[in-house]
Amino acid sequence: MLQPASVPLSWYLILSAILFGLGIAGFLLRRNIITVFMSIELMLNAVNLSFITFS
Amino acid sequence: MELILFLLFAVIAVACGINLVVQKHPISSALSLIGVMGSLAVLYLLLGAEFLAAAQLIVYAGAIMVLFVFVIMLLNAGTEPRARYRSYAKVFGIGALVAFLGLIAYIVQSFLPPTEGVQFGKFTGGGADKIGIKLFTDYLLPFEIVSVLILIAVFGAIVLARKEIE
Repeated sequence: MLQPASVPLSWYLILSAILFGLGIAGFLLRRNIITVFMSIELMLNAVNLSFITFS
Repeated sequence: MELILFLLFAVIAVACGINLVVQKHPISSALSLIGVMGSLAVLYLLLGAEFLAAAQLIVYAGAIMVLFVFVIMLLNAGTEPRARYRSYAKVFGIGALVAFLGLIAYIVQSFLPPTEGVQFGKFTGGGADKIGIKLFTDYLLPFEIVSVLILIAVFGAIVLARKEIE
């Protein structure tokens, strides 16, 4: 029987991909170097989320 | 309950991420990044990684973001000028972004083997004691290599930041 309150694992991966895409967009579009660095941190966190999802 | 929590914090994370890219002032971007880090910590907790959730809150949302805010205030960074883009570039870029996200969602949904859902409390072993035991038995060599890497980074920071002594 399907558990009613379970989150599919692929949703985490899709969220991770969306955050990674946002990080790439910020990295490419922004001029300020601090904002570019924060976008890199965003990409790093998206990759961390996918690692923990696969663990 | 888990579904509601996941959806709530995923929406918060994506909204804060969009806000990070859109905002003009770096302080606003930094505050949005704190929102992303906090909601990601809740998602780690949902996945059963308790130690990583605590470390995410302490290290990222605490230490690194304080460092970011200090750097922004010390450099006195102002708002950046609005960049001009061509209209066809906007249309093509948004279309390409939607196509990219759709392609990734399609690949993840169709080609990966179907997995059972994540339930709160199902995955164990994310506590600090388990991670410490794993770190000092199975992963001792990578741990030591990372410590040497951090030592090299400290030396580099000292060399770059010191005053030149004649």
